[in-house]
Parts: sequence; C-alpha cells; structure tokens
Amino acid sequence: MNRTVASWWALAIVLVGVSLMAPLFMSGYALRFCTFVLMWIGLAGSLNLLTGYTGYLDFGHVAFFGTGAYVTGVLMLKVGLPFFPAMFAGAVIAAVIACLVGIPTMRLKGAYFAIAMLAFAEAMKHVVLELDGITGGGNGLSLPIYTNYTFFYYTMLAAVVFTIAVTYWFGRSKFGYALKAIREDELAADVSGVNTFSCKLIAFGISAFVAGMIGGIYAYWMTFLTPDDSFNVLLTVRMIIMAFLGGAGTVLGPIIGATFLASIEEILWASFAYTYLIIVGVIVVIVVLYIPRGIVGLIGEKLIKQYRRKGKSA
Amino acid sequence: MLLQVLLNGILIGGIYASFAVGFSLIFGVLRIVNIVHGEFIMLGAFITYWLYSIFGIDPFLSLPVSFALLFVGGYLLQRFVINRIIEAPEIMSLLLTFGLSLIIVNIALIVWKGDYRLVNPEYAGANLELGTLIIPYIRLATCVFALLAVGGLQFFLQHTNTGRAIKATSQNKEGARLQGVNPARIYAITFALGAGITAIAGSLLSMSFSVFPAMGGDYLLFSFFIVVVGGMGDLPGALVGGFILGILQSLVTNFIGAGLNYIVIFLVLYVMLITRPTGIFGRGLIE
Repeated sequence: MNRTVASWWALAIVLVGVSLMAPLFMSGYALRFCTFVLMWIGLAGSLNLLTGYTGYLDFGHVAFFGTGAYVTGVLMLKVGLPFFPAMFAGAVIAAVIACLVGIPTMRLKGAYFAIAMLAFAEAMKHVVLELDGITGGGNGLSLPIYTNYTFFYYTMLAAVVFTIAVTYWFGRSKFGYALKAIREDELAADVSGVNTFSCKLIAFGISAFVAGMIGGIYAYWMTFLTPDDSFNVLLTVRMIIMAFLGGAGTVLGPIIGATFLASIEEILWASFAYTYLIIVGVIVVIVVLYIPRGIVGLIGEKLIKQYRRKGKSA
Repeated sequence: MLLQVLLNGILIGGIYASFAVGFSLIFGVLRIVNIVHGEFIMLGAFITYWLYSIFGIDPFLSLPVSFALLFVGGYLLQRFVINRIIEAPEIMSLLLTFGLSLIIVNIALIVWKGDYRLVNPEYAGANLELGTLIIPYIRLATCVFALLAVGGLQFFLQHTNTGRAIKATSQNKEGARLQGVNPARIYAITFALGAGITAIAGSLLSMSFSVFPAMGGDYLLFSFFIVVVGGMGDLPGALVGGFILGILQSLVTNFIGAGLNYIVIFLVLYVMLITRPTGIFGRGLIE
C-alpha cells in the first residue's frame, strides 16, 4: 500500500469515526441538519454514479427517490412490512424501473436521455397522483410515526457509506473503467469491446437503487409524503449541482458539493428562496465555464502543479 | 363533440408547432438541447402582458416587439456565453443552459412574483359559430399567426443568403466553413432566430393561457416531445408534431382526464424512442 492510498484510508476512517460519534454531542437541530446533509451526499452520490461515470445527465433522477419513498410508505402502511424490508423493496423497484426506462432511452445520445427522464419524472408524479386508492393521491400519505432521530441519522449514514463504497468501486474496477470509456467516447468504447449498453444500464440501475434507498429512509423519517414534494424537480436540480460543483466522477466530489450547497441552503433558503436558486444558477454557469471538473478537479490540478514545481526545483 | 375536440387540438397545436420549430432549429444547427427554451416562451408572454396591461397595446401588435427583444437577447446570450462551450461535450451545454434557466426563472419570480396573469383583450370572448362548432376568434387568429411565423422562418431559411448559410451549417459545418461561412456568426443568428420565434409563440400563448414565471417548464417538455415525434432538426416534422401534441392533449383531457396528460405524453415518447427515434418521417438527427 503506497502513501497516498494509506492517507485516503486514514481520511475515510477519521470521517466515518467523527460521523459515528457526532450524535452524542449534537442538539436536535444539529442532528436534523446533519441528517439532511447526509441525505444530500447520498442523493448527489447517486446521480454521480450515473452522470459522473457515464456522462448521461438525468433530469428526472428524483423519480427514483420518489419511487423509493412511496414504495416504502405503501408497503409499511398497507402491507404492514417492517421498515428495512420495505426500504429494500423500494430501492429494488426503483432499480427495476430504471432499467425498464433505460432500455429505450439509453440507446440514444445523452440529450434525449436527459429530457426524456424529465418527462418520466413528471409522468411518475402523475401516476402516484392517479393511484390515489393506494398512495393517497394529492392528499398525501402518512407513515407510522417514529421519532428516534438518532436512528435516522445512523441509517442515512449507512446509506451514504454504501454509496461512497460503490463510487470507490466504480473508480477502480474494470466495470468503472468501462463506464469512463463510455463517458469519454462511446463509439471508441464500443469498438474496444465494451458492451456499452449493458454497462450503462447496470450503472443506471445501481444509481436508481441508491436514490430509492435514500427515498425510503426519507419517507420514514418525514412520516408524510406528497407527490409534489417527493417528485419535486428541484430535488433533481440540487443533486445535479452538488455533484458537478464538487466534481462529477470522483468519490469526494458529491461529499464536498452536497455539504457546501446544503450549508448555503440552510442559511439562505428560509428567507431568500429565489435568491438562493439564482445563486445556484450562477454557480452552475461558473462551474461549466470555468471549473468544469468541479472543486475536486480544481484542487487536484493545483496540487499536481505544486508537486511538479517542487520536483523541478529539487 | 369529437370534431370540436379535434379542432381545439389543432388550434393550440399551431402555437405548439411554432415554439417547437425554434427548439428544433437550434438543435439542428448548434446541436445543443436548449433548456432555456421554456424561459424564452415565458419572456415572450410577459412582454405581451406588460405592453398590454401598462400601455394598452393590442397583444397582436406586440409580436414584433417580442421577436426583436428576444432576437437581440438570444444573439448576445449565444455569442458571449453559450458559444464558449459549443465544442465541449453535450453535457456541458445541457448544464449551462439549465443554469441560465434557473437564473432567469428565479429573477422573474422575484420581479413578478408567482401570480397567474392573463392577457384578456375585449375581443377575447367573441366566437365564430359553424353549426355546432364553436371557434373563438382569438384561438383562430393566434393559430394563424403562429403558422405565419413558421412560414416566415422557412422562407427566410430557403430564400436568403443567411438562411442558406444556416442550412448549410446544419448539414455540414466544415463544408460550410470552406464556402466562407463563419460558423460562430451563424450559430448566434440561428440561436437569435430560434429565441425570436419562440418569443412570438409565448406572446400568442399569453392570449389563451395564464402567464407566470415558472410556465416554461411544461413548454420545454412539450417542445421536446414534439421534436422527438417530428424528428430532431426537421422543421416540417416539428409542425406536424405540434398538431399531434395539440390533438393528443385535447383528446386525453376530454375523454380520459387531464391528470393523465403527462402519463400519455411519456408513454408516446417512450414508444417513439424505441420504434422511431428519427421521428415519424424518419428524417430526424439522433446524434
């Protein structure tokens, strides 16, 4: 094990350790905020698994979050399933739906995929609204109330650790390299023997699984779901921006992007909702025009330059 | 009843066609999916609303103003912002236009609040009655103006030097460059034209539908649906696609229920993407 890898592991262990200890010292408000930050890290990480590694931008990613939330809610309420099996079922169903939708949409170039998914999320919201016998429709769905907020913190943390572990695996496995090849040049990947279609579909399924799982935790945590909240296009907006601001296609990117944006949001959202969204829009434009590789990419480049300069002077 | 429903669909379909043509034109030449498209519609609608409610200017007279303002705005936006990433991977143009759309919508929300507004000239209630069919004059007129705008654009593309340069660039960029066409200029003009015709569509929509800052989102989806059905970059296809969407929505709303509109739209989109990704005429671009 070389020194860089060792220091990454040390950082990861410290982060997880701090996160595990944190609830012991936190007030209710701080715990709630930290759980939200974890949720956003997970959601941004979920989008990152698809978009960061394959280059397919998903404007309807919230559909899988909402599916996970509603499946969990309905299974707990109408079938009487305990939380964890219900959440797992929600995640699996989200993944299956992603694969079914992905079969036609992922055969096409990214631009079609992006907006077809926007239409898909809107359609899913209306499916939930129309199935009001099961989902409660526009009146919403009330889940069994469980107020152990430390439980939700740890569950969310576990989901995030899972997401990061998958991202790490994407970064170093043969499968991950296949995905990156697709992102850089799909045709070239194809002729090099990568089964581009099934790779994209698997990545999409895994990504939807994560979003569905987090949706399930969110449902039990919030105890009340409405189609407008669970399928809100602004959730997708935030996932995309967090992933790209931090650095798409990296392990740390979504963590940094989500923590940064969720903190700004906590400060600005309550009093200046529109201003917050304008700032978000400006951040997107700046990221695209000046730091297309995100904060992680920016810092990474600086470090490499410094390293080289040191090497020369020595 | 059925005839009336079909007719309603056709009348609205004309306006749909006119904004989808703008979307399709920009995609065909610049190869970007323009997420700001819905906001061009919203801005066009607000221009008409303000001219009507403050200065009492007839909504139809505001069409050239809408066109001119968005033409200039679109030109500048393309030349100084979007053109910087025109050679970058497509995900960058999606993100960039998406960021711009967020900025425009939320500035509009601060300036105009989320209220629903309507442009309601005196003649809005007048109808043409043909037997049992009722045709509101204003719907008929907006449809005709929308089709005139599409016709005008088509004429421009076919019979002027700039128009032919635009078509040449969309067919083969390098070939056009070798003939002395400056792609950067053509890109900006195309984007400006697309924004202009879309603003006209927005102005026309404001006479029958409510005007509010977030109205663009739905129309962006409609534009996308239409160009997938008609074929990306295929202007006559977009015209037919517009009518198909108008009729489809009218049928679903009247016979199945308005709540199912999005579900039907997505299902048709899904089937189209599987069976005919190049559009009903098979002339669309899938790159």
